[in-house]
Amino acid sequence: MAALLLPAEEWTDASPVTTFGLFGAGAGAGWVFDAVCDRVAAGAVVRMGAPLGGPVADQVEIIGRITEARPPSPARGHAGQGGRIEIVHDQPWRGRIKLRFDADRGGTRVRLFAELDEAGLEWLMRRRGLPAGHGAALNPNARLGLLNSKSGLGSMFGAATDHMAMLAVEEINAEGGVRGRPVELVVGDDASDPAVGVAEARRLVRAGCRTILVATTSATYFAVSRALAGTEVLLIQPHMNEGGGTGPLRVQLGEHHEGQLAAAVRPLMRAAGGKRWFLAGNDYCWPRSTHAAARRILPRSGARVVGERYAALGTRDFTQVIDAVTASGADIVLSTFVGADAAAFERQCHAMGLRERCVTLAPAMDESTLEHVGADAAPGLYAVSGYVEQLASPGNAVLLHRYREAYGRWAPPLSTLSESVFEAAHIWWSAARRVGADEPRLIAEAMRPGSFQLPRGTVTLDDSGRVTQDLFVTEATGTGLRPVSL
Amino acid sequence: MPADLAFDALADPVRRQILGVLAEREECTVGELAERITSIGRTGVSSHLRVLRAAGLVTERKAGRFRHYSIDPAGPARDVIATLQALFQGALADAGRAATATEAAATDADIQDSRSAG
Repeated sequence: MAALLLPAEEWTDASPVTTFGLFGAGAGAGWVFDAVCDRVAAGAVVRMGAPLGGPVADQVEIIGRITEARPPSPARGHAGQGGRIEIVHDQPWRGRIKLRFDADRGGTRVRLFAELDEAGLEWLMRRRGLPAGHGAALNPNARLGLLNSKSGLGSMFGAATDHMAMLAVEEINAEGGVRGRPVELVVGDDASDPAVGVAEARRLVRAGCRTILVATTSATYFAVSRALAGTEVLLIQPHMNEGGGTGPLRVQLGEHHEGQLAAAVRPLMRAAGGKRWFLAGNDYCWPRSTHAAARRILPRSGARVVGERYAALGTRDFTQVIDAVTASGADIVLSTFVGADAAAFERQCHAMGLRERCVTLAPAMDESTLEHVGADAAPGLYAVSGYVEQLASPGNAVLLHRYREAYGRWAPPLSTLSESVFEAAHIWWSAARRVGADEPRLIAEAMRPGSFQLPRGTVTLDDSGRVTQDLFVTEATGTGLRPVSL
Repeated sequence: MPADLAFDALADPVRRQILGVLAEREECTVGELAERITSIGRTGVSSHLRVLRAAGLVTERKAGRFRHYSIDPAGPARDVIATLQALFQGALADAGRAATATEAAATDADIQDSRSAG
């Protein structure tokens, strides 16, 4: 990875073994060493909260994976073998952080090398309010916008999204682009905040994007949809959603929450051996409307809702919610927490012993988020989606092969939330190549009705844009989401 | 826009490497840069510096026979690079302090143990 290399160095009188041992120990040793990971070993997912500041003043999670961890040899004072830790990360930019621990002058010389790529520098400059890259389109490329979440709670599930969009655009351009013009992807970051999402969407439009794939929470999708009403820009929502964003220039491709619930309610009651449901989720539009749908759909299967709680986005202590679930005697929790909140909630359910009497159905749980739930808290957690990385389809085998070839073995797992962006780009292209990239209204018309053969299988859009696809109930394991029949 | 030029300038890995060295060393001559960046010679370094100057990323200061180069304090990349550098340096300083404290606490505990054992 060719990149800008930022070195830092420090000396401490402590031994290499002690210094190395602080990494991941949560000992208040600064934001890099206080990295959150289940173990300091190659393959473990890791995140660290960089206090980056900027116009969106909060901390930014660097999310990646430990690719090398070698403790220093215990010999002190002379040249024993040094320790090293290497982290490859995909959020908020692609980069690498190397730590070196070497015995030096009776203590330890600690060195850090952080690599930053061009896209990362561009993202940081924009984050700090500086003008950066992608002015109005002066070249003849066809520009496709992608609005993603690179920080905030959505950054966990957005990990592979950029990669999937890039992979789709590379395939599209290898096939000749749109009417001989190469497609250029322009990426915006909503920082998991609808107001930032609106500003970024306007920037993508100024840069010449006539279609934007909005791969964020529904809260941002609806805010952008309102802000761009009356402009000739096509918005495509690849992710699972609650519907309601209809119009000639609006296409919602993802799993509809009513379909997810209809597919999962009875299997989950069989798995739990009970029919009492507790509804718990983040406080915004998708969880609220999903709970409303659950109150309509659950009674048809003889199920009963015994409680409901919401927690603000960014909550890290779910004790009150979990106590309420326990007191309700629920058999199943419908969890509509998303991203980092979902990971924290599931870990705490496990830690507080709730799993022993209660399973969870989490329609927004995906493989990227599951990595942060961890293997211990995974059993008893179920999801439902149109795609999982372990899906056994020929199209998926090809996709996984291309993905690993392009981004390597340490890249984050694919999930319905990233794979759907790959598919949305291909569906867009199948229409745009016929009518041209600058005709958003005609692109939307050419997409529906339509039937598309994709890695997840056949996806059909009817005249009104309603989506039909196979849905899979899956169980969480230490290695991903596995389709099950219950 | 200098920002657009900056991105063209940053597309080259050697130019990014030059910026990395300048971020660490504050100010360098061509010779000092060529010592650190061994993949190309002095002439190569000079031509990359011209591109970086044109993009507003690097400034030049003449002192006698030498020209000293540094990251342009008003340039678009300076703020970001300086911020990140300070963040990582600060994190290492925190880790160093914590390591010293941990080892001191362990030594104290050892002394306590040996006293109570005695």
